[in-house]
Amino acid sequence: MSDWTTKDLLYWDDKISRIAEDLGLDWYPIDYEIIDYQEMLGAMAYTGLPTHYRHWSYGKEYERTHTLYNMGQTGLPYEMIINSNPSIAYLMRENPLHTHILTMAHCVGHSDFFKNNRMFEDTMPHDIIDKFRAASKYVRKLIEDPSIGINQVENILDAAHSIKYQVPRYPGIKYKTHSELLELEKTKMNQDPKYKPNLEKVPLIPEYNLLKFIAEHSVHLKEWERNLILIVEESSSYFIPQALTKIMNEGWACTIHYKIINELNLPDRLHLPFIKLHNQVIRPHLGQINPYHLGYKLFEKIIEEYGFEEALALREIHNDITFLRFHLDEKFMQDINYFSYSFKKDKKSITIDEISDEQGWESVRDELINNTGLNRIPIVYIDEIEKNNTLSIIHEHDGRDLDLKYSEKVFNYIKRLWRDEVKLISQVENEIWEF
Amino acid sequence: MSIFREHKSRVDRAASDRSRHKKKIEKAIKESIRDVVAEESIIGQNGKKKIRIPIRGIKEYRFIYGNNEINKNVGAAGQHSIRRGQKIGKKRAAGAQGQGAGEAGNQPGEEYYDVEISLEELAEYLFNDLELPDLEKKKFRFISQESIKRKGYRFKGIRPRLSKKETIKRKIRRKKKAIASGTYDPSSGERFPFHKDDLKYHHIKPKHKEHSSAVVFFLMDTSGSMTKERKYLARSFFFLLYQFLRYKYEKIEVVFISHSTEAQRVNEDDFFRKGAVGGTLVSSALDMALDIIDKEYHPSSWNLYTVYCGDGENWSSDNEKCIDLFKQIKEMSQLTGYCEINEHYKGMADEVDEDDVFHGTAWGTFSAWKNEEMDNLWAKLNPLCDNTFKKIMIGESEHIWRAFHSLFGGKNN
Repeated sequence: MSDWTTKDLLYWDDKISRIAEDLGLDWYPIDYEIIDYQEMLGAMAYTGLPTHYRHWSYGKEYERTHTLYNMGQTGLPYEMIINSNPSIAYLMRENPLHTHILTMAHCVGHSDFFKNNRMFEDTMPHDIIDKFRAASKYVRKLIEDPSIGINQVENILDAAHSIKYQVPRYPGIKYKTHSELLELEKTKMNQDPKYKPNLEKVPLIPEYNLLKFIAEHSVHLKEWERNLILIVEESSSYFIPQALTKIMNEGWACTIHYKIINELNLPDRLHLPFIKLHNQVIRPHLGQINPYHLGYKLFEKIIEEYGFEEALALREIHNDITFLRFHLDEKFMQDINYFSYSFKKDKKSITIDEISDEQGWESVRDELINNTGLNRIPIVYIDEIEKNNTLSIIHEHDGRDLDLKYSEKVFNYIKRLWRDEVKLISQVENEIWEF
Repeated sequence: MSIFREHKSRVDRAASDRSRHKKKIEKAIKESIRDVVAEESIIGQNGKKKIRIPIRGIKEYRFIYGNNEINKNVGAAGQHSIRRGQKIGKKRAAGAQGQGAGEAGNQPGEEYYDVEISLEELAEYLFNDLELPDLEKKKFRFISQESIKRKGYRFKGIRPRLSKKETIKRKIRRKKKAIASGTYDPSSGERFPFHKDDLKYHHIKPKHKEHSSAVVFFLMDTSGSMTKERKYLARSFFFLLYQFLRYKYEKIEVVFISHSTEAQRVNEDDFFRKGAVGGTLVSSALDMALDIIDKEYHPSSWNLYTVYCGDGENWSSDNEKCIDLFKQIKEMSQLTGYCEINEHYKGMADEVDEDDVFHGTAWGTFSAWKNEEMDNLWAKLNPLCDNTFKKIMIGESEHIWRAFHSLFGGKNN
């Protein structure tokens, strides 16, 4: 039986909110949904969104999490909050009171981060739920439309999902429209008579938003297919800021819950299990990066060195990549004991490349940054629509080769959307590679 | 401040997406099953036996970096002391996948679902939503049987259906009433005889039962020319056929007849494993099949299915006889198949119209290339071909499924 009632939650929520205000936090009001284990799995499958369009991949996600919990590989889910106003968070009915207190304090941290970090500026938290609801309705309408149906819808969604991360990675930047770019080029040409750009080229500059470009420029797509692609694009742009700030966001929420709970003066029966849970959350995962651990440790170091005010400032301006680049130093790297590793073909095994000692820490740091957030996802851009409507796409090779099997599949998905010739150019083992 | 909302009713949001995912998995199972089929023993297995099939998870492809030396990973060592060049095995890396990038993973992790299914389920997967509705119905015959079942009692009936128990019960009841009302005194020693009204009879009702049983004759050439590979193909084909018929009929029996110049009724093991040397007399097996049908499986109560598998060669002098015997078998059977297994068809089926490969004449002369004494039956069987007599060509395992469909008239999958 549970050791709490809604009254208890209201009581602790009030206390938590007061302390958070004193800390100088500024967050959206939070709506907590009290749900059971099964519903939690459901919420997790759709990344917490109360409404979401249908796709089998979310069913797969559900099964995957379900299996993981069943096999005991992961603890029960206890926190889930989405970036909206009000923020929607979930509390699992089966959890004991101390877990709820931790979750609530943690959620205040997340909501504060969503509201203040500049990566989230354009996520429109006020109407995001309505947008997802509208998208979900639209997809359902298509599925139920006898002339379209689920197979055709999946045909587009499967393909669009394969490039859902191929969207601009720098939130907050206003991209110039085609006509604005033309103006700009003309001004440049007036200033410098030798400057002769090709103004016929589409796009004028590399286009990183594959989904949007294809939806807008494909000559074969039907209206509903374009809309469907744009739905995926919209949902993707909404999630990009979270992918960019996973470490900071979790680190910040852990810092906040720890700070708040220490000031709550919990009785021992709640405090001791809280400490245990907290340590579980922020423990390092062997051979992996636990963003809770890394983020928490970094904020801890910053607060120690520069105080909480500085941490408040940093949570506004950084994303994970800049955060790590500025604040990882030799001592920190040594303490956290990270190492880099790779698969050696000749030895057919995985071996350690560098460790965080005096000679190695910078290399490990750089690899860590290479593996952070969207840095893990190859960058491709649309270079040009060539003659015969051939779409030319280029992979920005940064030293790491693409996985060919996967890329081939994605290439075919892009063809499915574009429906004319597609060229994808990359580099494999220092040779130009064309798909 | 915050709002707390209790959910009163539970909504299983992911249900439809899960069932959609499940369908995809089932499709994957079906695709792997064709590889599994050849490994399994045909009979001697009840439907409960479980087969494990590794099914590749349904992947969601996107651009990722390859798993090579240039692409390094980073991980925590915790309290462990580590050194450069230290091997950390293969499993660790698998576990490290998808970390650090939120939901965006990095490496192409092979996801395997180890699905355990029973032979029954396997048959269902194989046949259920494939083309069953398209199959020609007349190839399956259900024999209706009338049985009789007792149901209740009546006062009228014929003598053999007299229910002694009910009759005695009624007599006892009458006797007790008589004692109570004083019309009969048990101590008087007087008999208390049965009365006409005591008699009760069983009532019976005829019951119709759809009863279906089938026997499959697997005939195979086991002469020297049937190599291991050829037998393997034959076996895969037989397995599919057996499973399919088993799925359709309540009761199914299998007769294995192997032959070289002489036919032998054998068990499954010997059928597939033991090889013989010598020539080929197809008629010997057909003779034996007819004989067994005559003695054990009368066509009026059994659905007969006969499939002959060979490499297409036969003594020329035997061919006339064979055609005659095939004709006899065909007339009694629901379906008769003549299957030629010859790796020379490998890869060639695609170049020719499918209809030609499986039903036509284009290949007739093909295997008659070796020995003048030997002759190919294929073309000679053409006059027999119709809905109940089919010719099948199998050159490689990919043909098995198509061959199967050509037998039962479904679309190719």
